[in-house]
Amino acid sequence: MANENKTIDKTTELSAEDEKLFSVRQSIPMTAENAIFRRSEGNLISLTLTQPDGTVEEFERVVPVRAFPITDPDEFISIKEPDSREKGKGAELGLIRRMSDFDADTQALLREELDRRYFTPVITRLTGVKEKFGYFYWDAETTAGKISFVMTNVSSNIRTLEDGRVFIHDIDGNCFEIPDPAKLDKASLKKIEIYM
Amino acid sequence: MKLLFDLPTRDEQAFLAVCAEDEKRMYCVPYDFEGERRVSGFMVITDKRIYRILEGEVLDVWSLSEMSDFSVETFYGACGFYAKVRGNSTLLCRFISGRNLPRYSVLQNACDELATGKVRVVSSNEPERFCPKCGRPFVVHTKICPFCQSKKEIYKKLWGMTRGLRLMMLFPLVVAMIGMVIRFVVPAVQKIAINYYIYPQDNAAPSAVVETLRSLVGDVGMQFIVIVICIVTLDLFHRALGVVQSRLAAVSGNRFTRMLRALLFEKIQMLSMASIQNKSTGDLMGRINNDVAVVQNFITNLLPTYFAQLFSFVMALGLLVWLSPVMCLFIFIPLPIAVFCIVKFWSFMQKRNVRAWILDQRTNRGLQDVLNGIRVVKAYGNEEKAIDEFEYNTAKQSRQEESNAKLFDTLFPILGFVVHFGSYLIMMFGNVWLYQGSLDLGTLNQFNSYAGIVYEPLMQITAIPRNISAFITSLSKILEILEEEPEVSDIELPLDIRIEGDVEIKHVTFGYDSYNPVLKDINVSIKQGEMIGVVGHSGCGKTTLINLIMRLYDVTEGEIVIDDVNIKDISQNALRSQIGVVLQETHLFSGSIRDNIRYAKPHATSEEIIAAARMANAHDFIMSLPEGYNTMVGEKGYSLSGGERQRIAIARALIHDPRILILDEATAALDTETEKLIQDAITKVTKGRTTFAIAHRLSTLRNADKLLVLDHGRLAEFGTHTELLEKKGIYYKLVMAQHRATLAKQAGVEV
Repeated sequence: MANENKTIDKTTELSAEDEKLFSVRQSIPMTAENAIFRRSEGNLISLTLTQPDGTVEEFERVVPVRAFPITDPDEFISIKEPDSREKGKGAELGLIRRMSDFDADTQALLREELDRRYFTPVITRLTGVKEKFGYFYWDAETTAGKISFVMTNVSSNIRTLEDGRVFIHDIDGNCFEIPDPAKLDKASLKKIEIYM
Repeated sequence: MKLLFDLPTRDEQAFLAVCAEDEKRMYCVPYDFEGERRVSGFMVITDKRIYRILEGEVLDVWSLSEMSDFSVETFYGACGFYAKVRGNSTLLCRFISGRNLPRYSVLQNACDELATGKVRVVSSNEPERFCPKCGRPFVVHTKICPFCQSKKEIYKKLWGMTRGLRLMMLFPLVVAMIGMVIRFVVPAVQKIAINYYIYPQDNAAPSAVVETLRSLVGDVGMQFIVIVICIVTLDLFHRALGVVQSRLAAVSGNRFTRMLRALLFEKIQMLSMASIQNKSTGDLMGRINNDVAVVQNFITNLLPTYFAQLFSFVMALGLLVWLSPVMCLFIFIPLPIAVFCIVKFWSFMQKRNVRAWILDQRTNRGLQDVLNGIRVVKAYGNEEKAIDEFEYNTAKQSRQEESNAKLFDTLFPILGFVVHFGSYLIMMFGNVWLYQGSLDLGTLNQFNSYAGIVYEPLMQITAIPRNISAFITSLSKILEILEEEPEVSDIELPLDIRIEGDVEIKHVTFGYDSYNPVLKDINVSIKQGEMIGVVGHSGCGKTTLINLIMRLYDVTEGEIVIDDVNIKDISQNALRSQIGVVLQETHLFSGSIRDNIRYAKPHATSEEIIAAARMANAHDFIMSLPEGYNTMVGEKGYSLSGGERQRIAIARALIHDPRILILDEATAALDTETEKLIQDAITKVTKGRTTFAIAHRLSTLRNADKLLVLDHGRLAEFGTHTELLEKKGIYYKLVMAQHRATLAKQAGVEV
């Protein structure tokens, strides 16, 4: 056993075969030329990707992820393999600089999936708020219908951005947006004002 | 956690219309997103198919035999449940994360099983986080719904807890009542003094008290002095009672607190790791300190006050009616207006105070951020920015506080005027009647005093509901711990065996959440005296395996056997007294080195302590300290280096001569030099003891007899160093990775 240790210690370089163990996939910039997105059989997104060295890869399903979902939702879209329980986190295959680099159909396809993954209803009216032991119970009308949600720790879960938009995170992991609080009706504004 | 919901009637009908007769309903869980809308749909999973049902319509039916690779993906504001249908990835449904994620995490495993034809209902003992009655979330880490908890139940339990203290707690209440009665007697005596002596009236009705007084004391002056003495004595008595009440309350309050804290602490020590791990240290400390204080304050201070106030309020009202029903109207008529104003005023101030509180939190957070990162601020020369930000925050906060204070100081006196409006009416009409002679001065004075008693509790009336609900929540948080059943417990007649050190792990499966196994079907057998290196990527279950051997948790499936005895049959005391543990973060308790070494064996002799320290290579450095083994360590003691602490921890693990030794990343935080010393110590101490060593640095495991390689919770490889290298599997890759890093370091390249 001790001998085995020595043999490894003596080696100054790893063999090419051993180096292969550590190779990591390189993410490439994606353009309309090297990446072709298609609607998959299961109504999700498939990808044909041409690597710089000319190799063509097929992916049954890829997932778009926004780098700046709040500030720049249409730029820097990462295209990843889906996470799986066996392989762990999916690797990034490439990065789209901006959505407009692609034709309208592809954009629509990507956007459809992005909308599914980034679900942020816009609050149009706040109909009620009640506080009990640090829990805040809200009732709101949103673009996704009437929603009641619960929140703790208001001071960090109601976030006002520099551009004036307000983002609200509830206890369930939902996110809501108020694009311009000043445009809310008076009663709604009064309810949320003190927490902003 | 509920996995089989009942379908609403029309959904049920829709489902029954399409499903086959012999299909067995296995699971039914809600899903809540459809396109852009929040909806209320259900996923029904039978032993053959999956149905998606929404508003009385079956939208999709998939056949389980064609499906595979079920998975749950978390999005932003929602989650998705996916599977491959005939090899094509498909989105089955979307749902809110917090509420249903744990359910679908179970389902993905359950569906995988069903798809491979294994029909078995997977259950989950993961606690629900939402109230089944109203759907609102429970208070964090608890099963308390602030809206649905039964108050009667809680009061009943509280009553049970006060056994032995009841009499002592009743005293302050009784004393408070007596004090109240005296408060009512004083104005009555004053009335006599005014009506018969200070401002005597000829037509004054004869009073029995005055007649008796006159028959006892002849002189009018003396009679008056007797009355004054009476008033003074009553007042003194009243004050004395106040002192007695406070003293009694202090005694009973502290006894109650002590009793409750002791109960809680005892219980927390008895609870298993599993339930303690669910709660943070801060949360537990909060329950022992704050929640107990809230409960104690309520029972010993607020409750007697409320009782006394209610008692005096009712009594004062009764007396007022008896004295003059007409004048009572002056109190009753403004009363609703006053209560209305008080409630409005406090809710108005409450909102502004919340705003100030939020701003205060923001300032604090910013301050903490900058002070913690002061080195970074300085390194980037961002002091100006930090100052600006702080000033912006404090300015905003101080403006808010200022306006709140101004408003309060203006409104509060106005409120006082409104509330006491009735007494102005009394004064006005009282004086008119006095002038007309239909009322005497003594009665007016008495009336005014009682009216004051009626108004007294009014100003604070809005605090009562808040105090009561705070009390109920704190109390239920305490009760929750007191009523928790320890998960790991001894069997009825546990064995106190002397362990030799053979350990067999038989098909062990374990997960902190039942649906998410961390260890899967681990099966190894270890001989007495062997040193086993446990290796694997972080999060592969190494520490979990060791926790199971110490029986901090009970296995979900399979069994762990030591010397042919299931560890569940060994008493926890006997088991742990024969296992020595050295962890990565060595926690030394406040006390001397000697105390720390003999922590596991309080009556160890000095010889034993030195022997253990020598074995751990700690003796030499301890002797170089001026106070030797008596050196104080711990939070406020002598600051030892990581390696020194580690060696003390090893000595502590050795003091009771354990048969099984556990080293959990014991050398991870050390530099190479100290590691050598400790390595040396480990080589000495592992001799003849079954040892489990977890190490990131594989060189630490040089002496291991066998290596146990874990990969995603499964036993990937088991064998000697040489065997595993030849296998060129995971272990080989790990060894290569570390070798490569060393090479890079030698070449001067930063890794």
